[in-house]
Amino acid sequence: MASDPQSAANQRIVEDLVSRLRRRQLVGSRATALETLLVLRQVVSKARFSNIDQLVNIIRSVGRRLVDAQPKEHSVGNTVRKVLHHIREEYHTANEQPAVESSFSIAKFVLQGQPRKQATIPSSETRVPLKENDPDDPDSFARVLKPVLMEAIQDVFDELETVYDNISKNAKDHIHSDEIILTLGMSKTVDFFLKAAAHYRNYTVIVAETAPFYGGREMAKSLSSAGISTFLVPDSSIYALMSRVNKVILGAHAILANGGMFATSGSLLAATAARSYSTPVVVCAGQFKLTPLWNLYHEYGALDFGDPSAVLGFDEGDLVDKVDVVNPYYDYVRPELLDVFITNYGDHPPSSIYRLLKETYDDEDNEL
Amino acid sequence: MPVPEPESASAESQSLTKAQKKAEGRARQEQQRAAKAAQKQQQQSGQNAGPSSNKSKGSTVQKKPALESNKIPSAAASSSKDAPTTREGAVGADGLSDGPKSRGLRIFSHFGLPKTPGHQIKGDIHPAIVKLGLQFSEFKICGANARCIATLTAFKTVIQDYVTPPHNTLSRHLMTHLSPQITHLVTARPMSVTMGNAIRQLKLEISGSDIDLPEQDAKDALCQEIDNYIRDRIIIADEVIEDLAVKKIKDGDVVLTYARSSLVEKILLRAHSLNKRFSVMVIDSRPLLEGKTLLHSLTSVIPPIPCTYALLPALPSLITDADIVLLGAHSLHANGSVYSRAGTAMVAMLAKEHSVPVMLCCETYKFSETVMLDGFGKNELGLLSINYFFALLFADAVCNQTAPMKFSLGASNSNLEVLNPLYDSTPASCITAVVTEVGLIPPTSISSIPLALGRTTL
Repeated sequence: MASDPQSAANQRIVEDLVSRLRRRQLVGSRATALETLLVLRQVVSKARFSNIDQLVNIIRSVGRRLVDAQPKEHSVGNTVRKVLHHIREEYHTANEQPAVESSFSIAKFVLQGQPRKQATIPSSETRVPLKENDPDDPDSFARVLKPVLMEAIQDVFDELETVYDNISKNAKDHIHSDEIILTLGMSKTVDFFLKAAAHYRNYTVIVAETAPFYGGREMAKSLSSAGISTFLVPDSSIYALMSRVNKVILGAHAILANGGMFATSGSLLAATAARSYSTPVVVCAGQFKLTPLWNLYHEYGALDFGDPSAVLGFDEGDLVDKVDVVNPYYDYVRPELLDVFITNYGDHPPSSIYRLLKETYDDEDNEL
Repeated sequence: MPVPEPESASAESQSLTKAQKKAEGRARQEQQRAAKAAQKQQQQSGQNAGPSSNKSKGSTVQKKPALESNKIPSAAASSSKDAPTTREGAVGADGLSDGPKSRGLRIFSHFGLPKTPGHQIKGDIHPAIVKLGLQFSEFKICGANARCIATLTAFKTVIQDYVTPPHNTLSRHLMTHLSPQITHLVTARPMSVTMGNAIRQLKLEISGSDIDLPEQDAKDALCQEIDNYIRDRIIIADEVIEDLAVKKIKDGDVVLTYARSSLVEKILLRAHSLNKRFSVMVIDSRPLLEGKTLLHSLTSVIPPIPCTYALLPALPSLITDADIVLLGAHSLHANGSVYSRAGTAMVAMLAKEHSVPVMLCCETYKFSETVMLDGFGKNELGLLSINYFFALLFADAVCNQTAPMKFSLGASNSNLEVLNPLYDSTPASCITAVVTEVGLIPPTSISSIPLALGRTTL
């Protein structure tokens, strides 16, 4: 039961994250995912509930607040969904009902597409260890379930902690000796991936500097200091160099349900140029970026804009008030332009992303 | 005057230490040569120390040796042929020439080093050409048309100052006089196709000039030919192209263009003067950021043309709003591929994907009979000094524009190299139409144009 004093106590930590998200003091998919998880752990540990629905509602309401604070940081919502999914799973095991099995078959997969059956709750009332809505001791349900839930959240936490290592463990299978790799922007995942491959292979990276935020320069610096031969080029020469590039490796901001992705602006240019030279495009991303979302009609990728002064500064004084300046953060890259997603759960073609989503989240959480 | 004396002396010692620092910095890079320079430096400073300590004359006298000592390192560097004079040049050399040390790619080796401004003058080079060479290498004169016109104008001065040596005829000897001048320009910056075409035409005119003509008349005739070439192939051609292209801009259109083409700029201004109501999206990118110049000229007319400005990565968000794409070209090749400012290919590619017509504006004198398959075979690297704001990233303070860059790029990171290709090649499939002075043609029929113009050589 989310009584008022408790929700107020939770409110402060939630409020803190909300304001940091809103002010963009906290950016980056993984950082926001981690922070969200910490907040959720607090919320769950302090929450009072006597049945699963109450708990889900508490988590959802917190999740909704966080998502509303910064709708473009999809990993916030994804983390909430993932936690919900795990909580339900734990609840079902605690009820000793065979929940979704890890083995996978077409038949199961078809079933998973269906909304979860409501029959679980009435049947759970008959179970001995878990008593929901116990009038004598309303906290007994929470007391039994909480340790399991904390473990489940810890699992998600561990997964986030090890995400880079797990993504880059197969790096040497993707990058071969003397290859020329093109990448752009600053993506921690790609950075780890390339450095992991550098332990086994000698190869060259061309980094486009990705104006106007110039994340590419940071990336080039980081890669070259790890001993990888690195070329830093302006964005304009991506096409000219593409004919010599063996592979394009990109980071993602969010992987969408149709297999497309939001990625730092410039990614679409690189992916399109790669397509015209039939160069494979590889995306490295943690699974927390999987987002049950489509972007079929947006013209601007993710509709998020950066500071125009990075493009046309006030040193161009007389131009500033005459010219519109556009500086989008993200591009939407269509699934046709991508070849593979390398996630911490293995490699997936864009066409099977929807399946991963079904495995990772519960359908009823798609809309928080 | 007791007061100014210590002041000037301290100023001198400061400049001396500066010079020494420079020499030391170089010593780390090129030890042998710098050792020599340091020796010279020592000698010079010894010389300087003598007079400054002895005399207490006017400060003007004292400044002189200080200036001299300042010059020495650069003089020492330029004395050796392959050592770039400026520090930016040194960084470039660092990045590209130490191939065996770093694992740098040899596939980039043919791009060649960006030429440094103070390159050597070999032989009898006309001052006008020397000046032009400097302007080329410093990108003061940039763009296919501007460079062609500047070259031809300089050649006019050269021809006027030329005197046929005895036992020679102008038609035979002038070309041998001109070729070192051309070589000088090419060492300053690789020759543009436009210059090549113009020079070929000039050679033809020279070899065809009448032997019996008095020398001055022959020279005047050649200058007239040059003027005609500029007028016919560039200026009038541009006007015709403007007329043709302006017809394609309709009221309410959104015209998208990339970087700055002088021709596209003229077309847009002409359309504006015809009271067409349209807006322009200027897409721009490093290394040259020429689009800002275009923005200035488009917004300085009255009323200003509504403009949107964005960098290349933002293009996918804007291309959906564009109605037509106008692009300029450096040269156009026989297979229809367009050699133009780096980034043009991506604009054309994306425009094609979104079914936005791409009009390439290009005079026929930019046509080349060669075939270009990709932008890699032939390209040019921009000056590293252009991207001095690397300093912004690699060193927090930009107190000295070049020194922190040298430190951060050259010293700390031998694996990191910076390339600034200036051009790329757009495949013919991405171009809807080429606007030339002979009309709108598809890019695949480029090769028929010289014939249509009735010329055997272009």
